Amino acid sequence: MKLTMKQKTYNFYMMVVTSLVLTAIGLVCLYGIGYYTVTTESLPKWLETPLYGQYIDSMNLYIYPFVVLLLVVLGLCIPKRIVPRQALLTSGAGILVLTIILALIINIEASLGFLLGISILIQTAVMVLTIIKWGGLTFEREGYFIQIGSTMLHLGFVIFVFDFVIMRTSGLHLPVFWVATILITIGTVLSFYPGEIGRIMKNVRTSP
Amino acid sequence: MTAREAVTTIGQPIITAIFLISLFLGIISIYHILSNDTRAYIFAKRLRNVDTLLLFLGFIIISWFHLRIYQTIELVYPAELSNYLAQTTGARITTMRFAVPLWIETEKLYFWTLCISIFLTISNVRYDFLKTRMTAIFSSSLNIMLAAFAMITYFTSNPFREPLPGVHSEITNWYQASNMGDPNMLYQFLIQMYFRLTYFYNSEYMWTHPPMLFIAYASLVVTFIGCVFMLFRREKIFDRISYSHAKVGYLLLTVGMLIGYPWAVVAWEGKSWWWDPKVNGSIMIWVLYSAYLHTRIYLKKRNMWRATAILGILCFLALVFTYLLTYIAPGIHAVTQ
Repeated sequence: MKLTMKQKTYNFYMMVVTSLVLTAIGLVCLYGIGYYTVTTESLPKWLETPLYGQYIDSMNLYIYPFVVLLLVVLGLCIPKRIVPRQALLTSGAGILVLTIILALIINIEASLGFLLGISILIQTAVMVLTIIKWGGLTFEREGYFIQIGSTMLHLGFVIFVFDFVIMRTSGLHLPVFWVATILITIGTVLSFYPGEIGRIMKNVRTSP
Repeated sequence: MTAREAVTTIGQPIITAIFLISLFLGIISIYHILSNDTRAYIFAKRLRNVDTLLLFLGFIIISWFHLRIYQTIELVYPAELSNYLAQTTGARITTMRFAVPLWIETEKLYFWTLCISIFLTISNVRYDFLKTRMTAIFSSSLNIMLAAFAMITYFTSNPFREPLPGVHSEITNWYQASNMGDPNMLYQFLIQMYFRLTYFYNSEYMWTHPPMLFIAYASLVVTFIGCVFMLFRREKIFDRISYSHAKVGYLLLTVGMLIGYPWAVVAWEGKSWWWDPKVNGSIMIWVLYSAYLHTRIYLKKRNMWRATAILGILCFLALVFTYLLTYIAPGIHAVTQ
C-alpha cells in the first residue's frame, strides 16, 4: 500500500524521536566512560568493591528509560503497518501506562519484560505478514527484500534486548543471542542490499 | 629470532617508503586542492596506488612472520601437566602453537591504514572523481586522510621497528623458564600460556572480531569525509558515497561487535567487564551510526541534509575516541591489561 502525506509526516516524526533516543543512549555511554575513568583514577581497586555493582545498577537505570522509549517508538512504528494510527496511539499509550505500573508494583525488569514480550509478538506478526506478502501492510520504503530486512532487523533488536534484560542468567541466553544476531545480520544485509539480493535470487530461480 | 630480524630488515625500508610517499601524497593533494591542477590529481592517484601496493607488501611480510611463529614455536606440555589441564579444563593438551592474529599490538593501525587504502582504490574505480571540481577535491581529501593515517602509523605504531613486542616477550619468558630447569616455574608459565593462547592468540574471535571492526572503521573514514563535504555542498554524490560506505561499515560494525559478546562471556567469566569504557564506546558508536542511518532516510526534508552530515561527523569522532580508549582509558580492553 502507498503511504499518504499524513502517514509520511508521522513516520518522519517517529524517525526524529528514534534518532534523539539513540543519541541520548550514546550520551549515557559517554557518561559511563567518564565515570569509569575518573573512579579508576581516584580508587584504583574500585572494581573489587560494591561500588562497581552500584555503577552497573546505575548505568542500567539510566539506559532503561531510553530503551523503553525506543521500544515504544518501535511499537508505534512497526505495527502502524497493520493497525490504524489512532488505534495504535491509544493502545501504545495503554501499554506504556501498564509498563510503568508494572515497574512500580514489581520491578523495572518485569515491566521491560512485559513490553519486550508484546514487542516480540507484534514484530513477529509483521515479519510473517511481510513474508507472505499480505496486502494490508504499509512501509516507508518499497521493495520485498527491503521490507523483510527491516522487519527482521527490528525483530532481532527486540529479541536481543529481551535476551539481555530477562534471560541474562538463563541457560538459553547464548542460543537466544545467536537467534537475535542472525536476524539482525540477515535483516541488515536485506535492508542495505535489496537490489543485489533480488538479482541473486532471480539468477538462482532462472538457472537450470 | 631470525624471522623477527628479517621482518625488521625488509619491513623498515618498506614502511619508510610508505611514509615518504604518504608525505608526498599529502603535499600533492593539498596542492591540487589549492591549485585545481589536474596533473597534480593524476600524480596523486599514482602515488596512492604505489602506497596501497607497498602497504599490501608490508602486510604480506607481517603474514609471513606470523606463519613462521606458528611453524617454529611449539610449547610442549609434560604428561602430568597435560593431565592436570584435562582435569581442570576438560581439554587434553600435549603441545600448543601460536596462531597470532595479523592485527594485534602495533599491527592494528597498520591494518586499518591498509584497509583505508583499499577502500580508496575501490572508490576511485567506482566513481569518476574528475567529473567536477568538488569531487576531485573530495578525492584529494581522502588522499590526505590516507597520508595522515600512514604517517601516524609510522610514528606511533610501526609494526616493523620492533615486531610484536608482547608476543616476543612471552616467547622469551618461555625460553628462560625452560632453561632455568625449575619445573614449578615452567608449569606455571605453561598454564598461563594455555589460557592466553586459547582465549586470545588462537581464538576464532580474535581472527574475526578485530578485522571486521577495522574494515568497518576504514569504510567509515570515507563516510566521514563525505559528511564533511555534505556540510558545505548539497551534492547528491557526497551522500551516495557516504551512505554506500556507511552500509559496509555499519554491517561489519554490528556483526563484529555481536560476535565479540559470546567470547567475552567465556573468556572474561568472573571479571568486571560490563559497562567498561570500550564497551560503552562501542555501544555509543553503534547507536550514533544507527541514528545517522535513520536521519538519512529523510534527506529531502528541511534541515535534514545538514543534520545528517553533522551526525555523520559526530559518529566518526566517537569512533576515533572509542579506538583511542584502548590506550587512554582503564578497563579490561586497555592495552596495559
